[in-house]
Amino acid sequence: MTTIEDVHRSDVRRGTPSAAVVEARNLGRDYKFGEESIHALKGVTFDVGEKDYVAVVGPSGCGKSTLLNLLGVVDSPSQGTVRIRGHDVGSMRDREATSFRLHNIGFVFQRFYLMPTLSALENIELPMAEAGKKKGERVARGRELLAYVGLGHRERHRPSQLSGGEQQRVAIARALANNPAILLADEPTGELDAKTGGEVISLFERLNGDGTTIIVVTHDEVLARAAHRRIHMRDGSIVDE
Amino acid sequence: MPLLAALLLIQHPLQRTIAIDERLAEDAHIRIGDRVVVSGAPNATMGDTVIVSAIVKRGADPAEIARSEYRVRMHLDQLQSLAGYGDRVDRFAVATRGPAATEKALAEINASAFGFEAHRSRDIAVETSKTFQVVSRFHKAIGFITIVASAIFLLCIMLLKVEERRRDIAALRLMGISRYTVVLSVVAEAALLALVGSALGIALSYIASTFINWYYQGVYRTPLYFSLITPPILTLAVVLSLVLGIGAGLLASLRLARTPPISLFGR
Repeated sequence: MTTIEDVHRSDVRRGTPSAAVVEARNLGRDYKFGEESIHALKGVTFDVGEKDYVAVVGPSGCGKSTLLNLLGVVDSPSQGTVRIRGHDVGSMRDREATSFRLHNIGFVFQRFYLMPTLSALENIELPMAEAGKKKGERVARGRELLAYVGLGHRERHRPSQLSGGEQQRVAIARALANNPAILLADEPTGELDAKTGGEVISLFERLNGDGTTIIVVTHDEVLARAAHRRIHMRDGSIVDE
Repeated sequence: MPLLAALLLIQHPLQRTIAIDERLAEDAHIRIGDRVVVSGAPNATMGDTVIVSAIVKRGADPAEIARSEYRVRMHLDQLQSLAGYGDRVDRFAVATRGPAATEKALAEINASAFGFEAHRSRDIAVETSKTFQVVSRFHKAIGFITIVASAIFLLCIMLLKVEERRRDIAALRLMGISRYTVVLSVVAEAALLALVGSALGIALSYIASTFINWYYQGVYRTPLYFSLITPPILTLAVVLSLVLGIGAGLLASLRLARTPPISLFGR
């Protein structure tokens, strides 16, 4: 069986070496609606270390997704800083942020978002192609990852030919394609039944056990319990950890 | 001499011949060699018995498309006799040996008597085809309006189709796929669709054209082609399709690529 040691190649990520993969300091995010300003995130400070497995939990509207957006470098904080592997990602412009996400962050979504016209293998190749990797390297890496998530026999299947759980496993493999520093997952079991959700949770545990840093935002109690750390949020702040 | 002439008439009886058009031959079941009676008035009891020596195929002349009369070609003297016109014609054609001869013939005919009018066949063709020029302009106007309407429709469809993918595109952007790649992939897909659409359109137009020609050639009994698909038309169609497809794809994808991914996700 393929292990994550095979999958996680030598760390080629750029940036200053740091003990913490993620450093969030006094993070805040405000949204303006006309005259009104909504504080979606207020003074959030935490670190995520190498090989950490963190679950961010809390009621709807507590700021979980806002935090995930900031950690995923798709949004900029109104105040405070986010550093990922030593890079201040809060002030990155679009092109720089896009490149940073490509090489350093793996996203897993609730609804998989696999390209329907591409096979499982081609979907995994997509971020690698964007990163400029050669076809042979992409295929070899894609096959390794598919084998790791237990879908080595399904590489030619299109998303419509895969079950929900299989699609999510392909999406996880795709997120790992460019050896990201962290894997960010937004409700990864939200679209799955208990059994297939359990398979995804087991896969996350195995990934983390093999060295992947994971931050997951979820309402799923089972998934949250599987994490090593739980950050509880309410009204835009961390209330318990 | 009168005796000789009488003998010649006995030995070579005058066999007058006519040519009829294929429409008359078909409707009246007449074949070459058949004897028919021709007269100057309908339902006449008397007339000349003639032999059908030729069946003439109609030319592909748009000016004659709506004319449903039958045509018979006969010797001039017999026609004059039957029509009671005597030594008189309304129109006749003269073949010439070149532009100089044409000019000379025109001048001589026009000067020969009051009321004579000679025209070049080219001038007559231009004069009689004015109606078709108007029809042609009308067709071009319809074509232009169709293309403009199609372009607007295509752009709307493209915007809607790309809009349907906003979350997929958002996911791609979150994964680190650049705006350039997103735009390029949408435009490439639009171009491919335009090419496939062009190929299907060409196939469909060939089928439609074949049917239209078959149907109207039958209705009007003419070899005229009512629908023509020429290489310039095909080239124009493919180029227009590509330009419109790529343009619509570009506009639609640029619109989405410029939107921040979290807005596309609706977060």
